[in-house]
This record gives sequence, C-alpha cells and structure tokens, in this order.
Amino acid sequence: MVKKILSYIYIYLILLVTYLPILYLIVYSFTGATITGQWSGFSFKLYGDLFKNKEILTALGNTLILALIASLVSTIVGALGAIGVYYMKNRTRKIVESINQVPIVNAEVVIAMSLTVMFVFIGQKIFQGKSIFSFYTLLIGHCTLAIPFVYINVKPKLTQMDPSLYEAALDLGTTPTKAIHKVIIPQIVPGIISGFVLAFTLSLDDFIVTAFTRGPGLLSGEGQIETLSTLIQAKIKKGAVPPEMRPLTTFIFLIVVTIVIVRSIYVNVKAKKASKLLSLHKKRRIKLNEK
Amino acid sequence: MKDRAFRKSLAIPFALFLILFIIIPILFIIFYAFTDSNGYFTFNAFKEFFTSTTKLNVLLISVLIGLFNTLLCLLIAYPLAYLLSNPKINKSYILVLLFVLPSWINFVLRTGALRDLLSIILGWFHTTTGQHPLFCTMVGMVLNYLPFTILPLYSTMLKIDYSRIEAAKDLGCNPFKTFCKAYFPQTLAGVISASMMVFMPTISSYVISDTMSEGKIMLFGNSIYLSFSNSDWNGGSFMSLIMLVIIFLCMLLTGKFQKESEKGGSGSW
Amino acid sequence: MQLTSNDDYIIELKNVTKIFDGETVIDKLNLKIKKGEFVTLLGPSGCGKSTTLRMIAGFETPDSGDILLNGHDLTSFPPYKRPINTVFQHYALFPNLDVYDNVAFGLKNKTLPVAVLDESGNQVTKIDKKRIKQLLKQKKRIKKDKIITDKEKEERLKLLDEKLDYAFNNPVPFYKYRHLTEQEIDDKVVKALSIVDLDELEDRDISTLSGGQQQRVAIARAIICEPQILLLDEPLGALDLKMRKDMQLELKDMHKKLGITFIYVTHDQEEALTMSDTIIIMNDGVIQQIGTPEDIYNEPQNAFVADFIGSSNIYNGTMVGERKVKFLGKVMDCVDDFEINSQVDAVIRPEDIHFQTEPKEGYIEGKIVSKVFKGVNYLYVIMIGHNEVLAQTIKSYETDKPIYIQIRPSDIHLMKRDNNLNVYTDAYIDKNNNLIIGDNLFEVDVSKLVSQSRVDESGYVVTKDKEYDFTDADVTATIPTTAFLISDDTDGANVTGEIITSVYKGDHYVVLVRSEDEEDYFVSTPYTFNPGDIVGLKVDASSIKLKLRGDLTSYER
Repeated sequence: MVKKILSYIYIYLILLVTYLPILYLIVYSFTGATITGQWSGFSFKLYGDLFKNKEILTALGNTLILALIASLVSTIVGALGAIGVYYMKNRTRKIVESINQVPIVNAEVVIAMSLTVMFVFIGQKIFQGKSIFSFYTLLIGHCTLAIPFVYINVKPKLTQMDPSLYEAALDLGTTPTKAIHKVIIPQIVPGIISGFVLAFTLSLDDFIVTAFTRGPGLLSGEGQIETLSTLIQAKIKKGAVPPEMRPLTTFIFLIVVTIVIVRSIYVNVKAKKASKLLSLHKKRRIKLNEK
Repeated sequence: MKDRAFRKSLAIPFALFLILFIIIPILFIIFYAFTDSNGYFTFNAFKEFFTSTTKLNVLLISVLIGLFNTLLCLLIAYPLAYLLSNPKINKSYILVLLFVLPSWINFVLRTGALRDLLSIILGWFHTTTGQHPLFCTMVGMVLNYLPFTILPLYSTMLKIDYSRIEAAKDLGCNPFKTFCKAYFPQTLAGVISASMMVFMPTISSYVISDTMSEGKIMLFGNSIYLSFSNSDWNGGSFMSLIMLVIIFLCMLLTGKFQKESEKGGSGSW
Repeated sequence: MQLTSNDDYIIELKNVTKIFDGETVIDKLNLKIKKGEFVTLLGPSGCGKSTTLRMIAGFETPDSGDILLNGHDLTSFPPYKRPINTVFQHYALFPNLDVYDNVAFGLKNKTLPVAVLDESGNQVTKIDKKRIKQLLKQKKRIKKDKIITDKEKEERLKLLDEKLDYAFNNPVPFYKYRHLTEQEIDDKVVKALSIVDLDELEDRDISTLSGGQQQRVAIARAIICEPQILLLDEPLGALDLKMRKDMQLELKDMHKKLGITFIYVTHDQEEALTMSDTIIIMNDGVIQQIGTPEDIYNEPQNAFVADFIGSSNIYNGTMVGERKVKFLGKVMDCVDDFEINSQVDAVIRPEDIHFQTEPKEGYIEGKIVSKVFKGVNYLYVIMIGHNEVLAQTIKSYETDKPIYIQIRPSDIHLMKRDNNLNVYTDAYIDKNNNLIIGDNLFEVDVSKLVSQSRVDESGYVVTKDKEYDFTDADVTATIPTTAFLISDDTDGANVTGEIITSVYKGDHYVVLVRSEDEEDYFVSTPYTFNPGDIVGLKVDASSIKLKLRGDLTSYER
C-alpha cells in the first residue's frame, strides 16, 4: 500500500513539474500585470491585448497557413510516394527507404543548414546573386521535415493490406486510378490522417528550419516571415515571454486538451461499435421479415 | 506491365523530393565543407575546426551535456515508465498521454515560460538564472526531452514477457537479481532508442541552450546557428558534416547494440 | 496464321511464354479449355500454375504468345475489360465495405450497351474505335515480342493490318453504355448471396465473418458479374480440413448450377481429383499431362505425374524382351511394350502390391520395415534389396519378418523414358555427402538441394537460418548422357560396366552401359564401342541434378 502511494506521488510530482511552465502562463493570463511573476488582481485585460497585438496575430496567421499548406503537400507527396514505392522491386524499395530515413535521424540544424547552403548556391549562381529565400524555400524546409514522417506512417498500413485487393478491384472492372481511389486509399486512411497530424505539429513547432530557410512573404509582406516560434524566440532572447502570449497559451492548451478528449471518446465509441452493429442488423432483419 | 508502371509513377514526386531536398543538399554540405568562399578546394574549415580550442570545446561540452542529459532523463523516466506500464498501478493510456501532451504546445514558448518561472524561483534564493547557466540548461533539457524518453521505454515495457520474470524468481533470484537478469535485458531495446531520441537532439539543439543559459552555453547547434547568422557557409557546412558523422556513428553503434539485445532477448537455443 | 479457333473452346493459350527477371516461368505453353468445364491446374508450388491463371485474368501479360477468348485475342486487354472474374487465395475482400457492398462492387462498374437510333429509327453505325485501339495495341505487343521469329512477326503484323483495314472501312452498330440501376443491382446481389447461402449477412462487416463466410462472399462477388470464366486461385487453402471438404462439394455444385467455365488452381492432388472434369498437371512451366482424373491416376504419362498424383512406387526399368521388363532385380511380365533395351519407368500403385508370408513361385522376397495404420488400411514400407516398396492393404502383418510380393503384369504401368537423361529414382545420399546409385559412389555438391546454402565443415548443409542433415536422404538423381566420359580405361572411373547396346544417332552414339551392380547408364559418345566391351565411366559431378524425394523440412536439424 505504501509502495502504491509512493508510486502515485512520484508519477504526479513529475507530471506537475512538466506542466508547471504552462500552468504558470495560464494562471498569469488572468491578471493585468505585464511584469513576470506579478499579480495585480483578476482581469481579462491581456486577452483584449492579444487581439490588438498585430505582431502576434500575423505570426499566428503565418504559422497556421504554413503548417496547413506544408502538411497538405507533405501528406499528398508522402502518401502517394508510399503507394508507389510499395509496388517497386525490393531492392529499389530498400534504397528509397534508407534515404527516407536520413531526415528522421538527422539533426534539424543539419537539415536546415544543408538546404540553406543549397539555396544560397542557387541564388548566387543561377539568379545572379539575388536571394531566393521566400515562402517557397520555407515550405520546402517544412516539407523536408514532414514528408519522411508521413511516409513511415502510411507504409505499415500498406504492408498490412492484402496485396490482392488492388487486383481484385481491377478484376471487378475498375480502372487503375479508380482502384487506388476506391480500394487502396480507404485502407491507408488511418495512416494518412496520423501522418497529416504529425506533419502539422512538426510544422507548428519548428524553429530551426524556419529560421534558416525563411524569406519575405505571407502575412509579413516585405519583411521576413515571422512564425510563432521565431517571434517568441526573438522576444525571449531579449526578455521575458511577452504578456500577450499568456492568453494565447490558454487557447492553445484548451485546443490540445479538447482534441485529446475527443479522440479518446472516438476510440471508445469505435470499440463499442461492433456490438452495436449486430443489433442494428437484427432490427433490419425484423423490418425485412415484416415486409 | 503498364499498370504496374502507373502505380510506381505515383512515387515520382516523392522520389524527386528525396533527391532534390535530401540527397543533393547533403552533397552541397560536403562540397562547402571542403571549399573556400571562392569555391576552391581547401582543408581550411577542417584545419580551423581541429585547431580552434573554442570549437573543440563546443564539441566536448555538447557531448558531455548530451550524455548527462541522456542519463538524467533515463534515471527519471525508467522508474516512471515502469510504474505507468505496471497494470497494478496504471491501466489507462490517458496518464501516458498526459505526459506527452505538453509537447504539443510550442516548445519555444514552453522554454521561455520555464526560464521565466526559474528566474522567479531563483529570485526567492536571491540569485538569477544568468548566474547558473548550466543548471538552467539542464532543467530545460530534461523537461523537454522527458516525454521522448518515457514513450519508447513505456512501449517496450508493455511488451515484457512476465513469464521470464516469474521463471527467474522461481529459480531463486532475489528482486534485485530478477531485475538485472530478467527485467532489464528485456527493456534494453527501449533504453537504446530512448537514448538516441535524447542524445543527438541535445547536441544539436539551439533554442533550449540559448534561452536557458542566456547565450552563455554554446552547443553544437548554437555553433552552427552562429555560422549561419554570420553567413559563414563553409565553416557551418563543415560542422554540419561533423554532426552528420556523429549521427552516423551513433546509428552504427545502436544498430549493433539493438541486434545483440534482440538476440539476447529472443533467448538462446 | 489462323487467329480464330473452334467454338467449343472458350479460352486458348497459344505458345505463351512468361519471363520474370530473366527466368522463364512459363515455356511455350499451349492450352485449350472447353466451355463449361471444371478445369484444374495442378502442380507443385512454383510450377507456373498461378502465373498461368494470372495471365488469363490479365494481371500479367505474356512475353510472347496469345491468349484467345472465344477465338478473339484477349492478350492486351487489361483485367478490368475481361469478362473473367477471380476468387483470390486470401479472398481479397474490401475491408472498408460491408458484405453487400463487396458483392455489389463489380456491378457498380458494369455497363450495359444501349442501342443508339437515328431520327428515322435506324441503328446508328460508326467505325469501331475500340476494336481499332485494340488492334493497334496488339500490333505494338507483337512488335515487342523477342521470342517469335522475324518471319512470323511479319506475317502476324500483316494479318493485323488487314484487320485494321477492315475495321476502318466497315462501320459497326454504335452503342451507348449505361450503368445498372440501384434496383437491378439490388436484385442481383440478393440472388448472388442466396446462391452462396449468405442472404442473412448482407450488412455485416467483413471483419466479423468467419473464414468460410468470407470465402462465400468472395465467390458471390466474383460470380455476380456473370463472367464467362471463373478463376479460383487456391481458394480453399486457408480453410480447415472439414470446411475444405464441404466447400469442395459446394463449389462442384455451384459449377453445375452456373454452367460457366471454372479454372481452378491448386497444389492439392486430392482436391483436383475430387472436383475436376479435366486436370492439367504442370511442372517447371511446362504441361506434363492433360486428362480426366481417372486418366491421370491410372495412366500417368511420366514419372513426375505418377509421383505427384497419389503415392506410387517408381523404378528404373529396362526392357529385356517382348513384354518383359526388368526392375527390382527381377524380370517381370508386363502388358506395355517398348523397344528392347530401352529405358522405362515402371509405376506400381501401393494398393496393387500384393503380399503374403509364405514363399511362392514368382514372388519376390522382401522385408517389412515399417507399418503405419491409416484408418481403413495399413501402409507398409517393404525393402527389396536397396529398394523401398510402398504397399497398402487392409490386412495386418508383422514387421521385420520376410514377406513375399506379387506384382501382376496388368498393375505394372510402364512409361518411356527420355534417353538424353539418366534418371535414378532410388538414389540416396550417404553420410559423407556422396551420391549412391546402386553400389556406385559419386561425389556431388549436396548444397544444390537447398537454394542459397553451403556445406559446412561437419558436412551439414547450412542456409542463413537453418541446418540440414542429408545423411540417408532419398533423392532422384538426373545425369545427362553428355555428362559421362567413356573410355577403355577402368582405373579411377566412377563406374565400370559392360556395353549392352550402341545406337548411332546421326552424329554420335548413345551407348547403354550396364554396371557390375546392374544399373544402366546411357552415355553419348562420338566413338564406337562394341557390345561386350568393358568400359569405365567418369562423371562430371557438376552436371548431376539432385531432387529430394521427401520433404525438405524433415531433414532440418
């Protein structure tokens, strides 16, 4: 019994410590004081400030647009890639997969540096010294991070699939394109979704690749594209986390918690679905019999 | 067959991407590492790196901090993962999820918040974060990488074959010996992959060390970032190359370890 | 060249060759299948039966040759345009759809022709674009063919050009196509499900079905499009024994009811014998025999067929006189006749071996070495000299006692053997990994018995993860006639023997050498030898081919 209590204390103590920084931001979002660690009474003032702060809103917008486009592109390229590679010869597949593994084990800063060096070279040699850094180089950077992860999320779904499914679809009269759309894609949807989510979070969280490969564009217009990561980094290099970020943390936290709760409910429902389906089937039978 | 060619062709964008943005950039790094700013072949970056004490110090400190962080994370996470995977103590996946949940909040933001919080706490002891750069960096590192240590350990511990532990007890091992002979070897694969998930990102991290130590501790990642800010492409490329070599060596080493632990894990016959 | 053929045949394979990675899997295969038949392609794994089926289905394209459906070229049609459906080995049901939608899948892709009439009510005619496209594809395919001769290529291309010309100048009735209505689909699905006895389960998820039920869904899904041919690729392989027996009968029944052609692929000879109208036995991409189950069982055309269908005793025999054959060290009367001194395979079914405990005139003495009760009868292994004889009878005998065997002339089935090859079905491997034929010893590389293996220091054959011990392993050894070096010098020879016959074959002699231990060797040589000469044979060990008689796994260490 004592052992059990000690175990719980250990678990929850570490849990508390990992949540402390976030809780601190959330708690202090409900006060007007802008100086770190000061409490000047309960207030929603910072929430108002957040929606007036153009800098943060621009960065937030940039981050979301970038993450959405990057994860969409990555998901399409990665998932189609997984399907294509699945039908290649064993040897080719092994080569492709080991190249795909490189960015997964590689340090982000090396990926960022390698892309940057290439972009610099292209700018100097092909565009007569003009910088090619822009939204597109940034997008490429984020896709390089995400595509390999989409691939490794989709691939197991393909290997679990009965290889004859595609042929069965052709046998029953579908064209190759339709067979992929109607039979293969539905089989790998779970992998595609988890790959998309992973790509999205990778993009949201990224600092290094963004800092290296960004150029002017998006909502930042002529200036360097600022994402939440680069903006916050610039701010905390000089001082404390800007007070307006505290309410933003509350929002992000709420969204994340909601997603987690919805997901676990969905999983529960799915588990119960099988038994439910049987009863549904019975009802239909009875209805048919009445006819 | 034509139809097979169609299916393969779906991988064309993917293959192009791998070539253009993974292979070719790495070739560029190698090229830049051994040329000067005019594009002529040189060993300058090589010489500079291995003669500069500051740069070698950065390498040494990075590796030391990496090892220390890996050790701390394992020491905290191993018992934690054990408790979480023990059906007598925890049956639900939700508690595990709670440990991972903070990592979905922007990590620059989390790092900043942690530094602010630490400076408040240190304030109570009449000192500042700036006076304890190493301590602050380590706290930042451990808190950030803890979830990545817990997950692989937890998933290998879930798969543990308890009959072997019972066999060890049956054959007269005391709890400590049972742990050493029957439990730990089964978790070795998890320990190795957890170590990899912590060690290499620590060495190459930028934001955590930069923020937590207020720029006082330079890790390999910071060093590469610095050459980027100074547009020193050749020096930066050379350091990236060193980083690549370190990663490659680590992969070789763990690959070998993992194979051996698998062999040991599947029992001998 | 005639590209249309007799109406009786629904499908025809002409000189079909398929090469995978430089390896010829199907070699110039010719095959005709009659309308409405239940045909089984039978053979060991890797014999090309599945590849043949996949070419008929359209999943593989032959590298050379044609596949004709009702006399029309089908070779370049993709699978989705062929009126042929397949029941897959592991069913390949779509897990994202329920039973109903799985069965309806093919119908939703199906279209029906609707005649197009002009204002005055006449059938509109147009040039047949589809046919032209098809003919052009055929031309392309024949141009790419690397196997047929240039002359043949030219002839066939000319023929196709003529057909193209005809198609361009002769418009055909023009049709529009429509999909089936929901009601039409529903009617057919209900009917198909009732054929396979699944009408209760239409809204069930695939994952909730048992193996047998999934099997039925797969069949319903394939027959609903009313294919002209139903292909079944080892469909019962995943079911348990009892279920399999039931399904065999049901499939047979279904075949009768539907009246369409079934082409069934299996490696299970019993399944083939029970279900088929015609069995096609394949090995190494070549058809060994085509016939009714009775024909194949009773009159196997070669040793492979005899060995593969049922368990049999096969011995090397030599014709020694008119209707007299010598094997098992004895001259026996038989009903088949071949040229004197020609090599034959003698096949005797185990149930045709009769024996008793008392010696009797004309009976051969042997010893029972093992006895296994098989439910109805006993299976005995009897040793006669170095030869094993399998025998089956309902009577119980004691082991390790001498018994006397009778083989009736009508039970000996003789098959002519190819003279280019010496085949020894009673060879074995000794403990030093040497091949023993009769009393003669040949040094061979036993690692040939297992692909990608080597022989280790202690004489075991090892692969990446397995070890085999082939001591006393029964093998079939094949030695080409050209592998021998024949000379008068008997020192250091593998085999010493006497020349029995010498036949001139135009540019070389084929001589029959009978060794001291009464084994026969056919040898080609450019030199003349006279019957009665004593000669020595040296063998090029690398050209000896070995094949295990038993199961490889039983030699695992």
